[in-house]
Amino acid sequence: MPEMTNDARDPLAVAELRGVHKRYRKAIALRGVDLQLRPGELVALLGPNGAGKTTAVGILLGQRRPDAGSARLFGRDPTLPAARRSVGVTPQEVGFPDNLTVAEVVDLVRVHYPYPAATSELLERFGLAEMAGRRAGGLSGGEQRRLAVALAFAGRPQAVVMDEPTSGLDVEARHRLWEVVRAFVADGGAVLLTTHYLEEAQALASRVVVIAGGELIAHGSVEEIVARVGLSRVHLRAPALPDVPAVIRVEVNDGSYTLYTADPDELVRALSLQGVAFTGLQVERASLEEAFLSLTGGAS
Amino acid sequence: MKIVLAHGKTQTLQHLRAPGYLLPTLAMPGLFYFLFEGQDQDVGLVTHLMASYAMWAILGVAFFQFGVGIAEERTTAWERFLRTLPLSAGQRLGGRVLSAATFAAAAAAVVIVEAHLINPVSVAADRWLPWSLALLTGGVVVALGGIAMGYWVSRRAATALAMLAWLLLAYLGGLWALPAELPGWTEAVSPYLPTRLWAEVTWAAVLGQPSALGDWLGLLAYAVGFAVLALWGYRRDEGTSYR
Repeated sequence: MPEMTNDARDPLAVAELRGVHKRYRKAIALRGVDLQLRPGELVALLGPNGAGKTTAVGILLGQRRPDAGSARLFGRDPTLPAARRSVGVTPQEVGFPDNLTVAEVVDLVRVHYPYPAATSELLERFGLAEMAGRRAGGLSGGEQRRLAVALAFAGRPQAVVMDEPTSGLDVEARHRLWEVVRAFVADGGAVLLTTHYLEEAQALASRVVVIAGGELIAHGSVEEIVARVGLSRVHLRAPALPDVPAVIRVEVNDGSYTLYTADPDELVRALSLQGVAFTGLQVERASLEEAFLSLTGGAS
Repeated sequence: MKIVLAHGKTQTLQHLRAPGYLLPTLAMPGLFYFLFEGQDQDVGLVTHLMASYAMWAILGVAFFQFGVGIAEERTTAWERFLRTLPLSAGQRLGGRVLSAATFAAAAAAVVIVEAHLINPVSVAADRWLPWSLALLTGGVVVALGGIAMGYWVSRRAATALAMLAWLLLAYLGGLWALPAELPGWTEAVSPYLPTRLWAEVTWAAVLGQPSALGDWLGLLAYAVGFAVLALWGYRRDEGTSYR
């Protein structure tokens, strides 16, 4: 596939993938993925393990080259170090040298940026102030994760890419991080986030992009993603249930049924026509997690 | 440049805080010089051996800081994170070179100062500069060898291989004994080894003798070979260590 010409690019995008293909020796990781990240939005990249999320992020950050298609960071080739000057990164796998202090790690990272945040301010913001003198490699998992997030903001970035930033964080630390991320986005920052916590995407995302099997299978606002799959959850109690149309999944618990369907109206009409004596009918829109399950065929 | 200096400083600090890693390469050459060569009155011989042990000291730093250092770090999460910073591979390597050069100079200085204290070594005033240049040239060649090792050898094998290569190349290159004292087959192999080529030009420089063009060309060939291997290994690593 030839590289797209410049005018095909999104002029607002701070980070962009266009028609990106990537294959490894044994498997195809990405087949024609498009992704745009604009200022002031948080895009949540969702998908089951092995969907290609980390490969997509790696290509966007210049860690790998696409086999076909193009990647752009602030209009430049992300494999050029200068293209990464306005981007902060929190990798999925976090680790620090045993023999450097937290403050030394922060100082080393700050050196790479023209206008870095002050070390003390950064440590304060992420609740690491009292750990400045401790060995970075000796921090607990949650503390290391917080330090990794703090480092993403060390260079006063315009865009931040976070690969599973809150895995291993307790609820309080997670919510504290959400506040920092919300403030950053409200200030015009752009965030690309991969996460397993759908609650996190629902809480933060302006847009959701779903990848499965190396392909982008859905994208839109959180509401649109749910609306597009049109998945509703119908609760009812009934002595028995006949075969009804348009039901994707059924959960039964002691006479209490939960039916997942794309068309709740049709389902309820069918139940009435067949004379099912149901009680306690409730129809709810499915959560993002359930929408996500149906989009990826339940393979999460 | 600021970035290179920061990485050099950080690496130096990390090595100073992990003395178990540092001590052998800094102390062993000086110690071996004292134990195995001891005191002698032959000015030419003790000067020759001082030059040899200084090379061995630099060789150790090159193999351990580049070979073992790169092999151990390149698969770590920290190193992968550094690659996402606006940092070029050249700047990262530059920092490593700064740190290694500091320790190599220190390790060689230990031998040189010690030799001056215990033996009647004599280096003519106008030989110090050629000697330093010869040490530096060979240092660059073996550093390239170390970098190649770092990218091709797994972290588990790196320490053992670096130690083995350090000792074997010193012995076979004639850094411990005089080349003439090397037994049988080793004498046949020795002239083609990078350490021996390096030693020949260094001995010539320190003792004020003419050096052979062939030795310089041999060193150049090793430099090119190691550089190609290092670059190839780096590219290979770039493709595999980020998943």
